Amino acid sequence: MQQIIDFIIRKKDVVVYFVLLSLSLGLLLNSNYFHKSKAILFSNSISNFTTENFNYLNEYFKLKEINFKLSEENLFLKNQLEKVNQNISLDSLTDADFSYKNAKVISNNLSSFKNKIVINKGANHGLKTEMGVISSDGIIGIIDNTTKNYSSVMSVLNIETKINAKVKRTEHFGTLEWGGIDTRYLLLNDISETAKIKVGDSIISGGMSLIFPEGINIGVVSKIITQSQTLTDSENIVVKTKSLKTNNLYFRENYLNIEVRLHNDMSNLNNVYIIESFNKQEFQKVNQ
Amino acid sequence: MISVYLLILKRFLFFALLQGLIFNNFDFFDIYDPYVCLVFIITFPTKVNKITFMMISFVFGFTLDLYSNSLGINTAACLSIAFLRSYILNFVFGSFYDPHGIKLIKNYVLESTFSQKFLYITAIILIHHLILFSLETFSFKFISLILFKTLITSLISLIFCTTFIYIMIKNEK
Repeated sequence: MQQIIDFIIRKKDVVVYFVLLSLSLGLLLNSNYFHKSKAILFSNSISNFTTENFNYLNEYFKLKEINFKLSEENLFLKNQLEKVNQNISLDSLTDADFSYKNAKVISNNLSSFKNKIVINKGANHGLKTEMGVISSDGIIGIIDNTTKNYSSVMSVLNIETKINAKVKRTEHFGTLEWGGIDTRYLLLNDISETAKIKVGDSIISGGMSLIFPEGINIGVVSKIITQSQTLTDSENIVVKTKSLKTNNLYFRENYLNIEVRLHNDMSNLNNVYIIESFNKQEFQKVNQ
Repeated sequence: MISVYLLILKRFLFFALLQGLIFNNFDFFDIYDPYVCLVFIITFPTKVNKITFMMISFVFGFTLDLYSNSLGINTAACLSIAFLRSYILNFVFGSFYDPHGIKLIKNYVLESTFSQKFLYITAIILIHHLILFSLETFSFKFISLILFKTLITSLISLIFCTTFIYIMIKNEK
């Protein structure tokens, strides 16, 4: 016993290290949802307060750009409305499947593998988890945690995010994922090799999960890598270092690997919209 | 001794806010952030005993986590670096290193060769980034990505950290 106590006293810094390490890993791996959201609530109340105030200052410099973007979007929407007005009467508005809410981005991070965005609305404003978030140019992410006044959004630039999407011209469905390095490109997987897809085809949201309505613009196809091509490419070292960008991990047999260039610039986000689906519960019942 | 803790508190607040508010959104080439906060651990006074040092690093890492919305990742990385620092100092500076902490970090930086300084700072930055990114992904699937990102980010952090350390030491005189 004496020896054990002696050993602990001699190695006390190692013991303290492992105690603290297990504490921090516990924080990281904690699967208990309640504790995690409590901790994030605590973090929000401190760090978001300072970040939000810091952003007030930053916003003035971007004001001109934001104004321009908003007026451009307004123009687009006015044109859309004109089309709708011509074609159908609007008495079916009460049966809309989706409704939109607006919010502002407080903090936006690109540097990690699991990027998150914090927006300035939360449960008090009616936001819940698994709601989609878009900007005027395209999709941004899915809400994964809400507190009273803030919510955190799992950005599309997150190696765990999977978003249902389709090719507009040929209607082939696939899954969008991020490769981990390049912030302007996503990868569209699970489209069979027989599909005739060209560079320049536009990619829109698929509408299969009811998180995003069908037909939101995401990006355009910028590169297509087929299975036979990747085999010959792997012999070439120069191409191999290049393909680190597109991440070889996702290559599957008999599937096309499509690189999609995003419409929106993820590093410059300000005003975002949150999509609320009214039919989600009903849809989940059928899907079970 | 109290003045040492005041200095630590001052640096703690300065580097936590600097990293959280400015350098977390720095986005060099879109996705690489310099981790300037490591200057806090690199220049931490050797006078303070190791357990206190680890406790302070733990809280420091936790503060950084609050800003980057990632619980436990920065905490574990900063803590591990605090634990490993005495071994790194011993390994790099050899007989020049004294574990009782009479020498200041200033002495280490001014009275050693270039390769020693370089090795000390690089080792800390590399190990920190490797722990940080592997904990972030938490799977072997992404091992090539982790190594690639560790290398590039370390290079950027190295440039920023050395600049900050030299500015700090010049002002201390």
